[in-house]
Amino acid sequence: MVRLITHNLLACHVKGCTRNNFPLLFENVQIEIQESDFNPDFLRNFMPKLEWKALVDAARQLGDTSLPLEQPEMVDEEFLKALHHVLLEIHVMEGAMVCQNCKHVYPISNGIPNMLLAEHEIG
Amino acid sequence: MPAIPITVAAVTELPLDYEDEHVHRVYDQIASHFSSTRYKPWPIIAKFLSEIPTGWVGLDSGTGNGKYLPLPLDRPSSIWTIGLDRSRNLLEIARTAGVQGGPREVVWGDVLGQGWRSGSFDYAISIATIHHLSTPERRTLAIQRLLECVSPSHGRVLVYVWAMQQDELSKRAIPAIGDPSSSRVEDPSPKTGVDVFVPWVLASQPQDKKQSEGHSRNLIAKKRAEESVQHDGVGTDAPSQVFNRYYHMFAEGELEELVVRAAQGLGLKVGSHNEGVSEGHTSGVAVVQNGWERSNYFVELRRWQN
Repeated sequence: MVRLITHNLLACHVKGCTRNNFPLLFENVQIEIQESDFNPDFLRNFMPKLEWKALVDAARQLGDTSLPLEQPEMVDEEFLKALHHVLLEIHVMEGAMVCQNCKHVYPISNGIPNMLLAEHEIG
Repeated sequence: MPAIPITVAAVTELPLDYEDEHVHRVYDQIASHFSSTRYKPWPIIAKFLSEIPTGWVGLDSGTGNGKYLPLPLDRPSSIWTIGLDRSRNLLEIARTAGVQGGPREVVWGDVLGQGWRSGSFDYAISIATIHHLSTPERRTLAIQRLLECVSPSHGRVLVYVWAMQQDELSKRAIPAIGDPSSSRVEDPSPKTGVDVFVPWVLASQPQDKKQSEGHSRNLIAKKRAEESVQHDGVGTDAPSQVFNRYYHMFAEGELEELVVRAAQGLGLKVGSHNEGVSEGHTSGVAVVQNGWERSNYFVELRRWQN
């Protein structure tokens, strides 16, 4: 699956593409919403490790504007529920992720992103 | 029917082409059957995952059918393990691994790739995967990728590889293995394992013959499945097929040596945090535990930073 929890970790790894290679931009995506177990402790502990701007931008690309541009200092239940939904309930099933820098296209098919590179593209 | 033996392999082609033919294509073809034999987590791995703090995110590099993705079962959704594999067919199985917590996160990729923000994972596991890489350089690189993808200050890594030292049952099954003279001479390491083909049999007999024939036919593969479940063919009428998977069986001490080489290549001190700091190092990797379990060598590592 490509949920935004994974998207927040993925970066382009084409040979020589080391700057502006994160985040990847979604293109022509089809999404599905699937409920998943809400675990506020996971979210609280995971939050500091997120690249927040990348998450908010990606969510907006997928049509979800529930997250604030800055990570809030006060974390309440309502915010955690929104974060949970964005991170773990929006599934990108089809489409692609494109590197902003080198424009390499990573296709997504049946919910699985293809991060394989050809031998000559590997750094 | 005699057991189909493990045979010595010679890596003659380009490593990537070789692995494509003798690893990736095989797993894509045996994915479903293979997966049906791989469902029980190994104890040390289950323990490793049970001790991961809530809120951590990890990578399972070479996830196969994803059997470790749902762990720990007593704290569902408290950590997230993302599965990476080269076999697309295995990933289709991995994405729904386990019954708790819904679908899994899986990525189609190579264990030598670096498709991550550096240091963005809190932990990484690589179980029964690195032994499918066909040169010492590629195996070293695979360890480096694991060390690089986890946090430089607290990242934890667990690696399992197949050992030349087999448990009792396997010793009988592979009498020809264990002769160091058959190992590859170009490996500069003094601790060198052997390159072998391990057959996987997609068998097909009538139900009533499964027990007796299946036992010998699948003897080798069965030993690899520590859970020793009956995983014979599915009872179709198609003729049985044998797929030879390439493995590098590790010698004793070889995995530790690989870790040292990998760490040094990244400029990391190998040793405890205290020891490293007292010697003036600013970053390193500690060996938390290593050993042999059920025909495999394992090593657990922790990165540290000043």
